[in-house]
Amino acid sequence: MMQPILFKDARYFQITFQIIFLSYGLMYLHWQSYWWLYTAYVITSITTQLFFEIVSKKHKSLLLSKIGWHNFTCSLPSVFISALGLCLLLKTNHLYVAIFAAFVSIASKFVFKINGKHIFNPSAIGIVAAIFLTDKAWISPGQWGSGIVILFATICFGSIIVTKVQKLDVSIAFLASFAILLFIRQVVFLGWPLDFFIQSLSTGSLLLFSFFMITDPKTTPNHFMARVVWSILIAAIAFYLMVFKFIQGASIFTLVCMQPLVPLLDYLLKGKTFNWQYQQAPMINTTRTINSSTIQF
Amino acid sequence: MKQKIIIIAAIFMASPLLYSFCGFYVSKADATLKNKTSQVILVRDGNRNVITMYNDFKGDSKDFAMVVPVPVVLQKNDIKVIDQSLFQRLNDYSAPRLVEYYDENPCEPKRYYDKAISGKVAGVSLNEKASNLDEVRKDYGVKVEAQYIVGEYDILILSAKESSGLKDWLTINGYKIPKAAEEVLDPYIKSNLKFFVVKVNEAEKKKLSSNFLRPIQISFTSPKFMLPIRLGMANADGDQDLIVYAFTRKGRIECTNYRNVNMPTGNNIPLFVQKNFGNFYNNLFTHQWHTENDNVSFLEYAWDVTPANFYHCDPCIATAPSEYDIVQAGVWWLHQDWNDYRDIDNEDPSTMGNKNVHFTRLHFRYNRNSFAQDLQFQVTPNTETFQARYVITHPATGNFTCDAGVKYIDDLRKRRKKELFELTNLTGKGIDNWQDVANENVENEVNNRAQYASILPEVQQLENDSKQSKKPLFFLGLLAIGSAIVLKYKGMI
Repeated sequence: MMQPILFKDARYFQITFQIIFLSYGLMYLHWQSYWWLYTAYVITSITTQLFFEIVSKKHKSLLLSKIGWHNFTCSLPSVFISALGLCLLLKTNHLYVAIFAAFVSIASKFVFKINGKHIFNPSAIGIVAAIFLTDKAWISPGQWGSGIVILFATICFGSIIVTKVQKLDVSIAFLASFAILLFIRQVVFLGWPLDFFIQSLSTGSLLLFSFFMITDPKTTPNHFMARVVWSILIAAIAFYLMVFKFIQGASIFTLVCMQPLVPLLDYLLKGKTFNWQYQQAPMINTTRTINSSTIQF
Repeated sequence: MKQKIIIIAAIFMASPLLYSFCGFYVSKADATLKNKTSQVILVRDGNRNVITMYNDFKGDSKDFAMVVPVPVVLQKNDIKVIDQSLFQRLNDYSAPRLVEYYDENPCEPKRYYDKAISGKVAGVSLNEKASNLDEVRKDYGVKVEAQYIVGEYDILILSAKESSGLKDWLTINGYKIPKAAEEVLDPYIKSNLKFFVVKVNEAEKKKLSSNFLRPIQISFTSPKFMLPIRLGMANADGDQDLIVYAFTRKGRIECTNYRNVNMPTGNNIPLFVQKNFGNFYNNLFTHQWHTENDNVSFLEYAWDVTPANFYHCDPCIATAPSEYDIVQAGVWWLHQDWNDYRDIDNEDPSTMGNKNVHFTRLHFRYNRNSFAQDLQFQVTPNTETFQARYVITHPATGNFTCDAGVKYIDDLRKRRKKELFELTNLTGKGIDNWQDVANENVENEVNNRAQYASILPEVQQLENDSKQSKKPLFFLGLLAIGSAIVLKYKGMI
């Protein structure tokens, strides 16, 4: 019974592709592997999720209650996505920083939420919190290089993910406006040759951000126009910070700053609330709980 | 939002016969080796930058000229010349190293245990001359913002309105801009960069006892942390090497627009490499560079060199940079001048007052095709140490008649086989290429069975048998196909 339903869930695609990206980085791009770090992210994320499930839910006897346990297992894919997001992006030398980042990621889903939608993308807020609050963590914008292979792979994989959740508009609006601004600045205004511009655009970090982070349906506006305008705004601010303020990783910081706008946009422009499992056959006993807040990422 | 990342601007040159700002010979043994390597010291904290450029110019000093794009008009006290031996010391300290270990004879009582160190890749070869300066002419939309004499150099700071004017001005004044560099003049001008132009002042030069052109050090404040390599891509068909020595207060630096890769390290390699270490490392570097698609930043060394700390290397192959060296390199926070508020204003508040110094050595090999952009960097809080280190092991000598001794010889043979494979993997050169070196190395004191010469044919055979297998690619492909099948089966695609 469970199996087909789980596979209907686009999150499994996302987990698969995140694992492929991580393997690609470790095997081909020769990233230094920090197994302790990855383990810390995953374990802390799961523990935090469990903790908040117990604390925030009515069913105290979580593990004994069928509904509670089901809730928890249904949210696990989202937890893995957040943890893998951290594995792919955030680096640190300190265990406590890793635990802190993973904790903030998951906790933000329970603490900052409006109308059943959490405000921040968990990985993004975890990354930003770790970088700015501890000053012991960093991201490496250059870690993917600018290989053309990864460009195509990302677009193909990414399209599959986002079309499954019908939010390709966000990626396209963001990427297109960012590319146009960059083209105007680098090629038209400054006069750099075309390969300079192509290198800026084919950076793996930018593509992954466009297809895997900004697209998170739980933290984007519900209305189509709102999503497009919101994405363009992020592109414009990230472009400004990157080009004129020389801030590396500007897009992630911008995303986190712009996410509180989402509830406002949702209030102004009504749209259909996304649910990871809205397509599936109703699960009589549990649908209500799932819809309310557990299936998030 | 707090500004995290930063950087400056900087370097390069072009001129009559010469090109960039530095170079050293790695080894004269192999014609394929690079004999030109630029070296730069970068110091960065907050928005403040100090850049020192090593000058390897050889020839008549009146042919010497250098053009470096800089983000601001430098004041006279922002420009210094320093002692060039500093580069030699930094290179010696941080170069890839060979470490040697000694086996014990299991059949004899413990006699010695020794761990020695030796080997570095290369010495920097230093020598050059100096010379005179042409008169500066006006116009072409080029404005001379400032003009100084510092040490043996005449320095001009130019700003320009358009690239053709700047190009004409430089040409008329005797600076030949290479074709590959022309395309970047326009972007630099439009990015509002100034041009730091250097020639040798013959009169000042004669006052010096030394015949060397000393490295020039400039300091300025700018959020940009970058090295403009594009102007230095002189005769674009050649690959140029660049070694960056960086000092920061917080941790390692890394490149943000190219991939960062650690050099392979800790590998056990055959004993005979000892005599050919420079050659070995150059083959290794070239092979790794190609493996990584020719456009990466290689990390060769990273260590905490805070003067107050004790361990600046392990093992040390040369004296660690002293406090004097570090200050000379431009690290201003060790002896802060509390009357100079420029420094304080530009400091990163999170590290203010701390006197840590982290050293990073990066190695680039670039050309016009694979490096479309200038190098951009960021300072990270990564304090992990790193060294490119290769291990050789001397076998035990003596009589191996006891049981443990027989086993030792077997193990030694196995180990040496692995070492030979490691050698070919690291350098990308088949075992045939190392045969002469291996055979040259007579090992009379080593048991026949465990001599490299006797293992070589076997390794050669194995090497021929096993075709270059792309195992990881295979598994990754399998994983993708597998998941596709599962998803297809489940009706998802």
